[in-house]
Amino acid sequence: MTIVQINTTIAQMLDYTTPILFAALCGVLSESSGVVNIGLDGIMRFGAFFGLLGAFMSNTPWIGLLFGIGIGCLVGALHAFITIKWNGDQTVSGTAINVIATGLMTYLLEYVFSTTGYSPQLQNYFGAQEYRIHLLFLEKIPVIGAFSNLSFMIWLGFICTILVHVLLYHTVLGLRIRTCGENPRAATTLGINVFRVRWFAVVAGAALAGIGGAALSISSFSGFSDSMPNGVGFIGLAAMIFGKWTPFGALGAALLFGTGQIAQSIIAVTGIAPKLAPGLTLILPYVLTLAVLAGFVGKSVAPAADGLPYYKEQR
Amino acid sequence: MKALEVHNISKMFPGNLANDNISFSVEKGEIFAIVGENGAGKSTLMNIIYGIYTPTAGEIYVNEQKARIRSAEDAIQLHMGMVHQEFMLIPRFTVAQNIVVGDEPRKGIFFDYTRAVREVKELSDKVALTVDATAITGDLPVGVQQRVEILKVLRRGAEILIFDEPTAVLTPEETQELFVTMRKLQSQGKTILFISHKLKEVMDIADRIAVLRRGKVQGIVNKKDTNEEELARMMVGRNVVLEIPKVEASVGPVAFSCHDLRVKNARGMETVRDISFDVRGGEIVGIAGVQGNGQDELVNAMIGFTRPTSGSMELNGKSMRLVTTAELRRQGMSYITEDRARRGLVMPYTVRDNSVMGQHLNAPFSRGLRMNYDKIAEFAEGKVREYDIRPGDVLDTAGSLSGGNQQKLILARELSLPHNFLIASQPTRGLDVGATEFVYRKLLEEKKSGKAILLISLELSEILGLSDRILVMFEGHIVGETTPDKTTEEALGLLMLGVGVDRKVVS
Repeated sequence: MTIVQINTTIAQMLDYTTPILFAALCGVLSESSGVVNIGLDGIMRFGAFFGLLGAFMSNTPWIGLLFGIGIGCLVGALHAFITIKWNGDQTVSGTAINVIATGLMTYLLEYVFSTTGYSPQLQNYFGAQEYRIHLLFLEKIPVIGAFSNLSFMIWLGFICTILVHVLLYHTVLGLRIRTCGENPRAATTLGINVFRVRWFAVVAGAALAGIGGAALSISSFSGFSDSMPNGVGFIGLAAMIFGKWTPFGALGAALLFGTGQIAQSIIAVTGIAPKLAPGLTLILPYVLTLAVLAGFVGKSVAPAADGLPYYKEQR
Repeated sequence: MKALEVHNISKMFPGNLANDNISFSVEKGEIFAIVGENGAGKSTLMNIIYGIYTPTAGEIYVNEQKARIRSAEDAIQLHMGMVHQEFMLIPRFTVAQNIVVGDEPRKGIFFDYTRAVREVKELSDKVALTVDATAITGDLPVGVQQRVEILKVLRRGAEILIFDEPTAVLTPEETQELFVTMRKLQSQGKTILFISHKLKEVMDIADRIAVLRRGKVQGIVNKKDTNEEELARMMVGRNVVLEIPKVEASVGPVAFSCHDLRVKNARGMETVRDISFDVRGGEIVGIAGVQGNGQDELVNAMIGFTRPTSGSMELNGKSMRLVTTAELRRQGMSYITEDRARRGLVMPYTVRDNSVMGQHLNAPFSRGLRMNYDKIAEFAEGKVREYDIRPGDVLDTAGSLSGGNQQKLILARELSLPHNFLIASQPTRGLDVGATEFVYRKLLEEKKSGKAILLISLELSEILGLSDRILVMFEGHIVGETTPDKTTEEALGLLMLGVGVDRKVVS
């Protein structure tokens, strides 16, 4: 492979990585506070559709990004309302969000655009040349050169990783979020409002998942497709676990899974693909996810109170 | 001046009046003890004072001012601090993080960890409680973790400290250290509420004592005007036999024996080394020893949880090699554990379901795939009456019972299994006098009916009072065998610490 090919492949890999990363960061933030958000795949679907909608209506991807954040917060608030306010089962609420997202987006796609399967394509999206971050001086360097021409969303993913890390490990709020995820009763005895902290973590996390969805429809691709997000949210959850519930761990895991995605294309290029049954390479990233989870899940420890509703007066 | 006054506090839980019109007052600088059996309402009362629970009725005054305490935050504002029975610590956090969380030193929105460490060091120097501020809390011994808890409440400016059964998790040495700490705090002008059911400790540390029974105050007494017997009587509502009566039983055949047993612990260290002994029907063999000298691993091997590295065990003459726990139980082994939450009971399950666990697949409790819940409930109700398990509704979850009632439930289940060998591992740990007396009575009944009993305990009075023969364990070895009439607490205590033991035997 030439330098250009290597760099393009890596850039493509980063493109696949970004939505996974956002999903994983959503999980890290939410679960650090003790709320499992299995609905993040559905939230990504919301984000993908509304991101496209915003970008389509305004003809600028920035509005699409805002739409993605907004819808993420809204659906996150629904999850928080059910699981924190009413102590609903977190898995059931998350699954419901996934199911609603599947049906509602298909409906909205037909209702708004009168099409099935695919939305109209965007001219102005983060993947378009004029919206990319150009660092041309890097172009000729192997590997690093991959960073010379990336979508804004990819950089946003890296920035959010750092932000979530700083939030969780270097701010007062972060220490409190983790306290609520480890021992909400202890948090209560210290005068921390567990409900408020969890609300924040769930909604902020869901905003990240919303961005992750938008990253699919207005950055990696230039439109919404009905199959989005194609299980990326669940791969993100796997990345969160593999990354031991830490932001940088999640980044590492997302990069690994992104590589799994790109491996498909590499296999196609090398010419092995025709010898395999059609579609078999498509399951590669998912097989990788399973393999990694089977191998590592035992060694990665979740926050102690993860997934448990909190009743203040429980005896 | 009165630091704290409680007027007519009541707390109603669904179907259970946990606190019934409770009133008392505590002077500033006093160590005030609240004693009562498990389930008497002590912890509920403390949680009300600390704002975790909302009282159904009543008023609280702090420093002679009416206080409105609706959350822990309110309590902290009023300079109250609580050292909880279960530590409110995050094992993954460092000591400094645990101490400052909720009231963190900050730089803008950022958490200033360096300053947190410094502040914790300064505080620990000032009140003379030593801790390593940067250690991971979960790695520390329990006594040190408790010190972290105390520092945590002191840092929030606590003037009134509530200790909720602080000694339940401590070794005797750690308890003595805690008392030194409490006196130190008292000399610094702090007011201390000490919740306990251990009368000896209360008599040791408190200035005044309030006795609670079934949610009501039975009386408030000065320590110097009372004694353990009187307190026990007030707590239980009748005379309590703290002395253990002698029960004679004819010794039968060997029920359990082991030879040259060696067992490794979870970390691969050999903690049971070359142990041989046997237990006969109609006798209680006591194993004395300081915690962590191989008792846990010995029990694990006996009940089939871990496989010994070498040696042999026999139950009723049959080899126990590769026999499963379920099969051992069928062959006549019963097991009472001190770890009620993880081994003894399934806490979210009801009293009814817990009462038959292990024999739930036998008639009449089930037939084929179908459980016969009517029969199970009938059985459970019988046991609840027989063992006086309170509050007595068989549909309550095991987790909602007090420790003493949980232990009664375990006894009820284990003793109703057909068995001739009983392992009682610290059977009275965390129990109050009433429940302890009950356990003793049951163990002696068992002995009388010809059962073989192995008693593992850290309480020497228990070992001396109940056992027919005593084995002392030290660093995995049995370093001595004696009988209660040939030894004293002091002599046993020395043996347990390895004093006078031939080091060549031990190494």
